[in-house]
Amino acid sequence: MLRNKGVRLAFRLVLGGLFVYAGAVKVLEPLAFAQNVRNYQLVGQSLSFVAAIILPWLEILAGLALILGVWTRGAALVVTGLLVFFIVLTAVTMARGLDVDCGCFGSLSRKSGWSVVLEDLGMLALGLALLIAPKKR
Amino acid sequence: MSDARRVLTQAAALVALSVLVGAAVHFPLVGRFARGEFRETFFQASDYPGVRLITLEEAEDIWRTQTAVFIDARRGGLYSEGHVPRSLSLPADESARTLPSLVMALARVGTVVVYCEGGDCQSSLALAKRLHEAGCRDVRVFTGGWEEWRAAGLPEEKSGAPE
Repeated sequence: MLRNKGVRLAFRLVLGGLFVYAGAVKVLEPLAFAQNVRNYQLVGQSLSFVAAIILPWLEILAGLALILGVWTRGAALVVTGLLVFFIVLTAVTMARGLDVDCGCFGSLSRKSGWSVVLEDLGMLALGLALLIAPKKR
Repeated sequence: MSDARRVLTQAAALVALSVLVGAAVHFPLVGRFARGEFRETFFQASDYPGVRLITLEEAEDIWRTQTAVFIDARRGGLYSEGHVPRSLSLPADESARTLPSLVMALARVGTVVVYCEGGDCQSSLALAKRLHEAGCRDVRVFTGGWEEWRAAGLPEEKSGAPE
């Protein structure tokens, strides 16, 4: 199935689109996102700020690369890496019993919880598929 | 270049690009961070549930009717140079030490209005949040702060405690 160009394209567009969107809403409100990161109580104020400056752009650039089909597997690696991190972060946050807004999609975010993990797992499947997909000929 | 190496290089390039683009796009914010801002809090009203932001008009009305205690969150030096009459000085960075004793008194007062320099100063919000967490139920932040109060030509008081 992954040899099918149409399927690969669909995966790239869906995953890339989601990441570009997720990054864009954060870029628009960097301080809100910084506070979001801080709320996870994992890193301090400064690291939260740095993450808020860089992370949204990483999402956007990796998403764009997927959409455009440039550096596809490198972008897939970034995206899967981020998703694994998000999933672990969400699980840890739930285990700690923190009531945190996930911060995933800016103001459309909801409380960090199982639905976030499921959503991330879905995206992770797409990302892994693109990462391990056989090379284009 | 091997396949795995190429993928890693691409990923690393994406990370490096993100750092560059992020720093460039948010250059003003990064500058403010470098100058010491955001070390206490990131300004966002929505992150302060239970704390209401008020305008100059509301602040003035509350002040004239004396229905709230005003708290100046700026550093003590700035407070002595001029502040809202009848306001108390509680510098945000010292509040951890002075807060517990004050909260008992403030909780009985009812409404508390916190202000700092103005513009997008962070200390009033940080202090308001702390007051709210400490038990003050009605905390309002006069976001225009001292700058706006002064520009409006409202009464001011210099140095020392008001009472």
